[in-house]
Amino acid sequence: MLRSLSWRSFDFLLLGAVVLASAFGVAMIRSAIAGNEELLLYPTRQTYFVLVGLVVIFLLAGIDYRYWLSIHWPIYIVMMGFLISLSGLGQAAFGAQRWFQVGVLFLQPTEFAKIVIILILARYFEKSQFEPRDLKWLAKSLAWTWGLLIWILLQPNLSNVIVTMVIWFFMVWMNGIELKTLFWMGVTAVIGGTIAFPFLEDYQKQRVINFLFPDENASYGAIYNVQQALIAIGSGGLFGEGYGHGTQVQLRFMKVRHTDFIFSAISQEFGMVGAVLVIVTIGFIVWRCIRTAQKARDVSGSMIALGVATLLFFQGAANLAMNMNLIPVSGLPLPFFSYGGSGLMSLMVCVGLVESVAMRHKSMEF
Amino acid sequence: MSSGSVSRPARFEAWRLNAVYAVIFLGLTGLLFRLLTLQVLQGENWKISAVDNYTFEVSVPAARGIIYDRNGYILARNLASYNIVITPANLPDDESDIQRIYREVSDLIDVPVGGPVTDESLEEAKLFSACIPGPGIAQMVALQDTLAPYTPVKIKCNVTEEIARTVQEKSADWMGVEVEVEPIRDYPTGSLTANLVGFLGPIPASQEEEYRALGFIPNRDKIGYAGVESSMQDILAGKNGSRIVKIDVAGQELGNLQPPRAPEAGHNIYLTIDTRLQMVAEASLKEEIEFWNTYFGKIRISSGVVIAMNPKTGEILAMVSYPSYENNRFARIIPSYYLQQLSQDPTKPLLNNAIGAEFPPGSVFKLSTATGAFNEGIVDLSTIIDAPGKLELCEKFNPNDPCTGTNTRPFVDHIYEKKPEGFGPISFLQCIAYSSNVCFYKLGGGYFDQIAQGGLGIERLKQYAEALGYNKRSNIELYGEQDGLIPSPDWKRINTGENWSTGDTYIASVGQGYVLATPLQILMSGATIANNGKLMQPTVIHQVTDGEGNVVPMWFNPNDYIKFDVTEFPTDGSYQISPFTPNLKWDVTVTPIIKGYSCDGGYCDLTDETKIIQPESIAAVRSGTRMAVTETPFGTLYKIFNNFPIAVAGKTGTAEYCDDVARAAERCNFGAWPTHSWTLSYAPYDDPEIIVVAFAYNGGEGASVAAPIVQRVIEAYFELKAIDIAQGRTPIGQ
Repeated sequence: MLRSLSWRSFDFLLLGAVVLASAFGVAMIRSAIAGNEELLLYPTRQTYFVLVGLVVIFLLAGIDYRYWLSIHWPIYIVMMGFLISLSGLGQAAFGAQRWFQVGVLFLQPTEFAKIVIILILARYFEKSQFEPRDLKWLAKSLAWTWGLLIWILLQPNLSNVIVTMVIWFFMVWMNGIELKTLFWMGVTAVIGGTIAFPFLEDYQKQRVINFLFPDENASYGAIYNVQQALIAIGSGGLFGEGYGHGTQVQLRFMKVRHTDFIFSAISQEFGMVGAVLVIVTIGFIVWRCIRTAQKARDVSGSMIALGVATLLFFQGAANLAMNMNLIPVSGLPLPFFSYGGSGLMSLMVCVGLVESVAMRHKSMEF
Repeated sequence: MSSGSVSRPARFEAWRLNAVYAVIFLGLTGLLFRLLTLQVLQGENWKISAVDNYTFEVSVPAARGIIYDRNGYILARNLASYNIVITPANLPDDESDIQRIYREVSDLIDVPVGGPVTDESLEEAKLFSACIPGPGIAQMVALQDTLAPYTPVKIKCNVTEEIARTVQEKSADWMGVEVEVEPIRDYPTGSLTANLVGFLGPIPASQEEEYRALGFIPNRDKIGYAGVESSMQDILAGKNGSRIVKIDVAGQELGNLQPPRAPEAGHNIYLTIDTRLQMVAEASLKEEIEFWNTYFGKIRISSGVVIAMNPKTGEILAMVSYPSYENNRFARIIPSYYLQQLSQDPTKPLLNNAIGAEFPPGSVFKLSTATGAFNEGIVDLSTIIDAPGKLELCEKFNPNDPCTGTNTRPFVDHIYEKKPEGFGPISFLQCIAYSSNVCFYKLGGGYFDQIAQGGLGIERLKQYAEALGYNKRSNIELYGEQDGLIPSPDWKRINTGENWSTGDTYIASVGQGYVLATPLQILMSGATIANNGKLMQPTVIHQVTDGEGNVVPMWFNPNDYIKFDVTEFPTDGSYQISPFTPNLKWDVTVTPIIKGYSCDGGYCDLTDETKIIQPESIAAVRSGTRMAVTETPFGTLYKIFNNFPIAVAGKTGTAEYCDDVARAAERCNFGAWPTHSWTLSYAPYDDPEIIVVAFAYNGGEGASVAAPIVQRVIEAYFELKAIDIAQGRTPIGQ
C-alpha cells in the first residue's frame, strides 16, 4: 500500500530541541566575542547557518531516505574522492588538513563523510539483516566503513575516526553481534591500541600524556585551555555570573570559547542551571532519535536514526567530558551549540534524515 | 504487508536497546555528577582561581631618598633617563602605518627596522635582553606582541632628552610609541665618596622572596650594594605603592579593583662628612701617594686611608679610602667587565679600607701601652727609663725557661741605625714623644728589675687597648667593618698551637706581631685620648629627613653586623642617628671597664676588681702626644707641626708588615720588613675639635709619608672653619 507523506509524523519535539540548542548556541557565541573583532560577525553567520539548516531539515525530511540509499555508490565514490583530494588540496589548518575553502566558506568533508558512512552502513545492515552474524558479516561492515575512514585517519583526524567507530559499534551491537565476537574484539582493541600508540602523531601523544599525567607547573603550557575551562565551569556555581558577565569569557582567559569550549562559557555565565539545560537538551535530542530508530519502518531507517543518535550522543558527551577534563582534548565541537558552519550543517542534515525516517515510520494505524 | 514487517520482531532485541539506553543514561549522569562536583562542591575554589586570573597588582615605584653631605651638598640623587618604548597593542591597525612608524622611529633613534618577521629572526631576537642593541624594531615588537601586547617593550634605552622630546611631540603620528622615564641614581661626587656612599644593583636571586615580601619588584627596583646605600637601604628605599587592577588575558588594565595605595618616598639622609674636607683629604692622600710612587718609579704605595672626625661628637668629617671606584658607572647596570676589573684588582678598590681592612698599627698603638702602664702605676711622670738603641731579650715560652744564647734575640729601637746608642735615659712623656720602641718594650714586657710589676703584660695591655676602642667593631653605620685583633695567650695557643712568649708581649707593646686594627679603630683610640677619656660613637649619619624636609627621629642598631636595623624608635643596643645627637660609647674615666689583674713577675691573674682609667693617666698620655710636636729634635711630629699656628698633638706609626703581597714580592727579609705609614693627630690640643688619621700601605716612615697628609687636612679644616665663620655659616664640624 502507498504511504502518503504525513507531516503529522514529523518530530516537532526533536526540531524544537534542535532550534533551542542552536539558538542558545548563537546567544553564547555572541557573548563569547568579548571584544575580539575577528569574532564580530560569527553570531550573524551562525544565525544564517541555523536558518539554512532548518530549511535543509525540512527538505531532507520531505525526501524519502531510501532515495539516498539507492544512490549509495555515487555518494560513496564522490565522498572518497573528496577525502583523497584533501590529502593534497585541502588547506593546511591547525596542522591537519580538514578543510575545503569554497568562496568564504570552509567546508569540512569529514563531517559529511560521517553521514555517508551512516547511510552506507544503514544500507549494508538492511541488506544483510538475514545473514548470520559471523565474522564475514562483521568484516564486510568494517570494509565499507574503512573505505572512507582510512582517509580520515590519514588526515590525521583521530577523534572523528573514534566517533565513526563508535557509530559502527552501536550499529553492529543493535544488529546482534555475538557476545563471543565482542569479547575477542575487545581483546584485539586493547592489544592494537597498545601497539598503535607509538605510531600516533606527536601532538596526539602529547594530548594523551597531558591528560594522563598533568604537569602541575604547566599552567601556561599545554593544559592551559583545559585549566581555564575548569575555572570557568567551577566559578559559574549554581546560577552563573550572568550573560555577558563571565570573567573567563569576557576577559578572554578561555581560548576557543565559541567552539570547543562553549560549554565552559555557558557554565560560567549561566551556572549549573544552564549547563544542565545543555546536557538535558542533548539527551532529549538523542532520545528522540533512538525513539525514531525504534519506530522506523525498516532496518535502514532504524540504523540511520540510531547512527545519528550515536553520533550526537558520543560527540556531545566527548565534548562535555573534555570541557570537564575527563578525557583528553579532542577538538570535537559540542553539537548544535558550537560555532562552525560545516559542523552545524552536517548535524542539520543528520536531523533531516532522522525526520525523514520519522515521517515514514511504521504505521500505528495498523 | 511488506517483508520488512516479518523481520521486525528480530530487528531489535530489547536487552540490546536497554543496554544502549543504559550507556547513554550512565554517560549523561556521570557528566552531571562531574558538573555538580565542579560547580557546587568545588565552586568556591574555582571562583578564587577565576578572581586570581583577572586580579593583578601593579606596583608603583617609590622615589629613593637623596643623600647629602652635612651642608646639604648632594652626594646621591635620582635623575630621569629616557627609554623609547613601543606598546604592541597600541600600534595602528594598518600594516603600512606600522611600517612607516618603524621607519621613522628607526631614523630617529638609529635602531634597525629589522626586515620581515620570520621564525629565525624571532629566535635570534629572543637571545637579546632589553636595552641591548641587536634585534630590529619589528622583531622586538613581534616578540612582545606574543608575550604581553599591552606591556611596552624597550626599543632603545637611555636616549637624549632631545630625542625623548621629539618622540613625545610625534606621539599623535606615532601611535604606540612612547617615552618611558626611568629613574637612575646619580652620584655628583662619584669616586670621591664612592666608598662611603656606595652604589645600587639589582635584587639578587637569592633574596628575591625576601624583597618581594616587602613590595619590591625584582628586575625593576634596585637595592644598595655598598656604603650608605646598602646600610641605610631600608629607609632610603621608601615603600612602593600598589594598585589592584582588573586585567584581561592580554594584560590590559580595566580599572582598579581596590582603592590604590600611593607610594611613600624614601627618607633623605644627611651624612656627617663635609665634601670640601673630603676633597682635601682625597687630594692630599693622592698627592702624597703619587709623589712617592713617582719618586720610587713604581707603584710602591698601593692604598691609603684618611679619616677625619670630630672627637667630641664622633661625626666623621671625611673618610677616604684609596683606591676608589667610579660608582656612576653602576648607575644603569653593573657592567661585568668593570666589576670584574675592580674585583680582580689586588688593591681592592671596592673595599673601604677605613673600616674593612686590618693592618698592624705599629707605634700608634703605643698610646694603649702608655695609658696602661701609667694607670697601673708602672711608671709616673718622674720615672726615667733607660732606652738604649738595642735590647737583647730572651724569648721565654715558660716562666722557668733558661736564657741561653739561642733564645736571645735583639729588639731594636727605630733610631738604632742613625744613633746606635739610642735615646738614653728618658722620661715617660719622652717615650711617647720620641716613640721609643725600647721604652715601650720595657713598659709592656718588663726588663729585669728596672720596671715595676715586671711590665704591663699582655692581659692588661689588652684591657687598655679595648678601652680605647680596639678589638671590637665600632658600630659605625657601614657594612663590612672588621674587628681587628688584640691577641691573648689563649688566642695564641688556640690559633698557633704555641705558648705565649715574652717576645710576643714586647712586640705587642709597640703594636706589632699579632696586633691588627682598622684605621677607624686607631682613630678612635686617638679620639679617646684627645677627648679626655670619652669615646664617642663614630657616625657617618648626621640626620634623616622625610620627603618634606622634616627631620625624622631614627635609631640605628648594628645587631649582628649582617643586617642592620634602622627604626623610628630605640631598640636594644641601638643608638640615635637622627636628629643628630653625640652618642657616648663610654668614658674610661667614669665607667670601670678595665678588668683588674694581679700581676707578679710578668704573670697576671684576673681578679673580680674593675677599675676606671684615672684622668691623670689620660692627661699624661695627652701631654706625651703634645710633646711629639714640641720636643726637638726627637719629637716625631716636630718637623710637621712645630710651626703650625694651632697646637697640634699626635702620634706617628711605622708598622712592619709581611702580608701575602710583601711575601710574594720577597720583601720580608729579616730585620727589614716593609712598613706601613701611620699618623694620628688632633687639634687644638686644649680643646680638640678635629682628629685625623692617615694611613699609607707600604708607605714607609709614618712621620714622612702619613704625617704630611694629616697636616694638610688639619690645615684645611681650620681654613674652612675660618671661611665658614667669615661667611656667617655654621662652622665646619659643628
